[in-house]
Amino acid sequence: MTIWDGVRRSYIPGETLCIPGTLRMHTGTADVDPVTFEVIRYSLMNTNLEHGQTIQRLAVSPVTMITRDFQPSILTECGDLVFLGPYLQYFSNAQALTIKWILENRAGNPGIEPGDMFASNDPYVGTPHQPDTIVAAPVFVGDELFCWVANVMHHSDVGGTVMGSFCVDATDIFSDPPAFPPFKLVSRGEVRRDLEEMFLRQSRVPTNVHMDLRAAISANRVAVAKIAALAGRYGADTVKTVMNRVLDAGERTVTQRLAGIPDGRWSHRLYAEAAHTGDAGVYTYQITVRKQGEHLYVDNAGTDPQTGSINVTYAGFSGAFLAALTASLTADLAGAYGGVYRRVHFDPVPGTLSCADFPAAVSPAGIYTMETLISLSGAVIGKMLSCAEPEMAGLAIGPAHPAFYGFIAGGAHPTGEPFVATNADNMIGSLAASPAGDGVDFGGHFWIPEGTASNIEELELLWPMLHLYRRALNAGADGAGQFRGGRGFVEAGIPWTVPGLAAALYVDESFPKAVGPFGGNPGSAGHFRLRHGTDVIARFAAGEVPQDFDAIDGAEAEVEAKGPMLMMGADAAWEWTGANAPGFGDPLARDPGLVEADIDTGALSAEAAERVYGVVPGDEATRTLRAGRLAARLAGAVPPATAPVTVPADVPLRVLAGELAMTERDGSPEAFVTVTGRAVLALAGSNFKDGCAVLERPLHSVAPEFATRDGRAGYQARYREYLCPVTGLRVDSEIVKPGDEPLHDIVIAGAGA
Amino acid sequence: MYYVGVDIGGTFTDCVLVDRQGNHRSAKVLSTKDDPVTGVLAGLGQLAETAGVDLPTLLERTERFGHGTTIGTNAVLERRGARVGLVATAGHGDALLMMRGAGRAAGRTIESVFRVHGTGLPAPLIVPGAVAEVQERVDASGTVVVELDTAAAAEQITRMIWEYDLDSVAIALLWSFANPAHENALAQAIPDAFVSVSSQVSPRLGEYERTVATVLNGYVGPATSGYLSELASRLATPLLVMQSNGGVLPAAAATPLGTLDSGPAGGLIGVATLAGAYGHDQVVGTDMGGTSFDLGLVIDGKPVVAEVNVIDQYTYRLPHLDVRSVACGGGSIAWFDEATGGLRVGPASAGSEPGPACYGRGGTEPTVTDADVVLGLIRAETFLDGRMPLDRAAAVAAVGRLADRAGLTVAETAAGILRINNMQAATVIRQQTLERGLDPRDFVLYAFGGAGPVHAFGYAAESGVREVVIPLGNGASTLSAYGIASGDVVLYHELERSLLAPFDGAALATAVTEVRDAALAGLAAAGVPGEPVVEIDALMRYREQLMHSLEIPVSPPADGASLLAGFDKEYVRRYGEGGTALFEAVEVFALRARVSVPAGIPLPRPEPAGSAGSALAGHAPAGPERTDVYWPGRGWARTGVYRGAPAGTITGPALVELAHTTVAVPHGASLSAGPLGELRLKEF
Repeated sequence: MTIWDGVRRSYIPGETLCIPGTLRMHTGTADVDPVTFEVIRYSLMNTNLEHGQTIQRLAVSPVTMITRDFQPSILTECGDLVFLGPYLQYFSNAQALTIKWILENRAGNPGIEPGDMFASNDPYVGTPHQPDTIVAAPVFVGDELFCWVANVMHHSDVGGTVMGSFCVDATDIFSDPPAFPPFKLVSRGEVRRDLEEMFLRQSRVPTNVHMDLRAAISANRVAVAKIAALAGRYGADTVKTVMNRVLDAGERTVTQRLAGIPDGRWSHRLYAEAAHTGDAGVYTYQITVRKQGEHLYVDNAGTDPQTGSINVTYAGFSGAFLAALTASLTADLAGAYGGVYRRVHFDPVPGTLSCADFPAAVSPAGIYTMETLISLSGAVIGKMLSCAEPEMAGLAIGPAHPAFYGFIAGGAHPTGEPFVATNADNMIGSLAASPAGDGVDFGGHFWIPEGTASNIEELELLWPMLHLYRRALNAGADGAGQFRGGRGFVEAGIPWTVPGLAAALYVDESFPKAVGPFGGNPGSAGHFRLRHGTDVIARFAAGEVPQDFDAIDGAEAEVEAKGPMLMMGADAAWEWTGANAPGFGDPLARDPGLVEADIDTGALSAEAAERVYGVVPGDEATRTLRAGRLAARLAGAVPPATAPVTVPADVPLRVLAGELAMTERDGSPEAFVTVTGRAVLALAGSNFKDGCAVLERPLHSVAPEFATRDGRAGYQARYREYLCPVTGLRVDSEIVKPGDEPLHDIVIAGAGA
Repeated sequence: MYYVGVDIGGTFTDCVLVDRQGNHRSAKVLSTKDDPVTGVLAGLGQLAETAGVDLPTLLERTERFGHGTTIGTNAVLERRGARVGLVATAGHGDALLMMRGAGRAAGRTIESVFRVHGTGLPAPLIVPGAVAEVQERVDASGTVVVELDTAAAAEQITRMIWEYDLDSVAIALLWSFANPAHENALAQAIPDAFVSVSSQVSPRLGEYERTVATVLNGYVGPATSGYLSELASRLATPLLVMQSNGGVLPAAAATPLGTLDSGPAGGLIGVATLAGAYGHDQVVGTDMGGTSFDLGLVIDGKPVVAEVNVIDQYTYRLPHLDVRSVACGGGSIAWFDEATGGLRVGPASAGSEPGPACYGRGGTEPTVTDADVVLGLIRAETFLDGRMPLDRAAAVAAVGRLADRAGLTVAETAAGILRINNMQAATVIRQQTLERGLDPRDFVLYAFGGAGPVHAFGYAAESGVREVVIPLGNGASTLSAYGIASGDVVLYHELERSLLAPFDGAALATAVTEVRDAALAGLAAAGVPGEPVVEIDALMRYREQLMHSLEIPVSPPADGASLLAGFDKEYVRRYGEGGTALFEAVEVFALRARVSVPAGIPLPRPEPAGSAGSALAGHAPAGPERTDVYWPGRGWARTGVYRGAPAGTITGPALVELAHTTVAVPHGASLSAGPLGELRLKEF
């Protein structure tokens, strides 16, 4: 029997919680009129927002106060989410899981009492990875546990083998930062100094973490007092009724939306490279969503077994999916998402990369596996929505960046004081293209709506570095599509006023992981480059700030994905990139006017316009060039097993997305067809890819933007295009490992095979 | 001799005149958007008529002519500003474009910030592509790392001006606030363009916000300057221009950026001026209009100042009066949320077009104003002095449709709309006071704007405030113009300077002197006569707490120990004893000097006994008439109606109808005219 206990295996609460009877739970209800309801709902929402603002003001880590890598919440007495703030959204489930575990495991010993707060950073209980530490405070009315207030905050360093606590070299949790199951950090209003010091002792920057931890405690205190006052004014039963009705409303909203989606099953898979430092393997993550009636069922079957440091626990898996789902489907609930969660049922395969068992390492999840799963979730939800009512199909938001491109450096200030510099400039971000249009350039990340990148001046104030440039990435093959992905950024810097620094964490991908939906190009691979013995200082003296990394003299270091700490002397220079987000639909189907507009603003070069989009000056020349490209695709592709049949022009098509459409018979799906070529690809119950012409190439040969060197994992990655056998336009594409079968990723129930 | 204040708003241009005795008169005319000067002249003409003089005489007798303009704000919102190009440090010219990744969400309401769909970056402020990245670099200490080749850079910029046909150039280099030499050299070298320099416009840490400030200044600069010189020439009188910091400056010295958002500042400075006259130290100023509820605080007699401002998703830093705006005004639309079964109000607003259902201009959604009409708090036939009769039946029908869905009576629904709207307004009041560690019960609430006095009893009670003042009585609807007339000349200077506790007394004194002298020099350059008052604040925080800032007053000679004690005291007041973090060093990260020359506007003239308010707009108190009003929480009651401010004290329930608003006096409350013509509502 599988025991989801939060000890040997991730914690998954049962339908009913086992809470000792000694803990009195408030469950009262009352009649609440529509006006009083709104007054209380508004107060609760504001209490949670003010909770977030307090954290932001009092915290000292840029990653908290600027990046918004934290999340306050209000939850019911049994830990169901009432309000989530506009901060990091994959913390969606973290507090709920941790509180439910506390109720089941701490109510008897040491007990849950007024004025207490519990802290935990145990991923097997509820947090995505160890730096994300939860502080949860019960709110009592009389002797009854009325509700909970909690926050999660990313701390700059909580120990482990790597500065900043993303331990990419860990092969199990014993090399990770310590994971503390929930402990009573505050007892009846008093901070337990012994436990606080135990926690701080693990950190390389204890002062910093101390300030942030105290900010978390203070902010909780304020929120607890406000909710207690609200219950005092309107009555606990009334306030609780409002909480429950907020939950019910979220459930009702998602149920209505689900009614616009046919029953069916949608899958997507993504790859990661390097399970730990020194590894060059490629690993598979897969998510399948099944929609049946008014419920969603989510599993991770097809995901590789847990290994190295690229794992997450159930908290991470469910948190990532829920973040992508609520942003796509129910963003209008503005954080009142608890009711939505009631309709999502997870059935994870344990012992896997996305639902690991103890003692798998998980600490780098904050920049790798969480983003991989958010991207994966967004892709699979997008596929599901493509089959929904037309007005809902536009809710797809596409695959997010599959990693959080970041850079953590460490060293000592000229004064000798050590520092850990967490550079979260990737908050600049970029949004994926969607069926609605281009992704937003520098649009941040949908899963952290208010996240903000630092100013260069803030970075240089805090840490001894000088930045040569931070500029927009050009649009290119990376992120191209009928609608293109948003543009990201690239930055470069050198150590400044110190003899050197260490690059503790960096992201260098040998291939892009997230492919664009329905034939869109993949986004960028994130890169980190390092040169030693450069001429930067000499060029400063000559009146120049170098602007082209390739033109900087010096020896280029060979950088690996999840490589070891890199030492950088005073004459070193580094460059790293965020990413252009994935495109949507075939780049050759992009409106030439949009391509020209990008050339005009300087976002796209004329060279890339021709190479990637087949757009040259003159409408006729563009048509001719594109026709030649499409013909060349078909000439190089493996045709479908049977010659294509087309449907007559008078047969109505229901467009799903890009070039993919369906015909219907008697209101039921009949067959997959292409939009422009009207080629029948497969009957509705089969895989539409079976009827496509298939063009498969090494990914690195598709465009210089995807180049990598032999020997790295990405060199083996392949790009497979599923083409309309009539027109050559892409219907879909996949990044695959050699020999991977086409994923049967869209199955609509009720369609005969 | 007169003090004149003119405030151009979206709909009305308000003019106020105050004479040496403190008598004041006001005029309200329609704004003329395409040619604002015409509207101003019409308003002044009307004002002259009220004062019994002709326009030239009025202008001749005007000693101080204060003016608030929305030219700049409109230019930004409608993207009708100058053709601006940006000069940036090599490698950093895209900071404006990338907006720190926060451009999509900046300044958006909480209801929309979770939403990805349909969101994007705002339209650019510079001509796309018009960026000259010049070779130069300064580091965090202000040390020059790469020398500027001024001639080469100037040539590069000149080429950009020509290529992009620019009329405005914004120079914003990295770390220029720490060492402005390169910016200054470039500013000198650029020919024939409106030049804005970041180390002068917004000399603060953070290149993105500093660049936005500089570009905005360049974007609105040419139009603002052009308009002000035209107005000055047609009036033949020197102008003092209202700034968002609540002060005025001679037109030639005013920074265009400072005129952005100066409208709400006028209201708050009017509140602060009158608070001094009425003897109030702690005031919540509330302006409820058709679409928004604006709130600002006066603490210890001074209006509260903020730094960060957002216009159309662009964030910048400039000391400005901290006026918060939320979408709960007379036009806020009430609706029924089927999912929760709750009644909601806003954030959508019917605005003034089509406006509330009762306006009869095609609006069908129930609004807060419709609820007022249903309840009888606003009488349809006497709205705006009877100049705009309202359609009560339309209001009842609109609210009635909502009532059917909510399962409440029409009156209950209308009362519910008010309760929710009041709750939203009170939440901002509570947030603004409690966040600063202040108790709303220690504040007096000033209510103005068309929808302020009618709702004040509700949101004041909800927020815990004990007394409401309707400043200037009948003149409450032109309070911004009054503020503009009464505004002191104010100039701010800021200096980024990191000093760690325990403070080195000499370094602190040097910094204080430096910021003080720079501010005084600025005032001298502006050519303002009079004895300046200098106030200096240290901006402090625990080191590395980058998002936090406490302003601690510095009284020369600067004393490090008392500064630190002041910080600790303020920190404890806001966050409690547990909040202080003795394990991290306290730092001063910037100093801010405010120099001002008091306007010396005469106190509002005390009204002769027995005729309080009558001088304000010529309304003799008539009645009381009687009408039926549904008072939230009590139900229908016969209610006395007074036209114009009453003499003596009246007790509720009562309505007092003023020229542009109504004061609602609930059961048990009392309303009396104060000695300076203001109305005071108590015990509500």
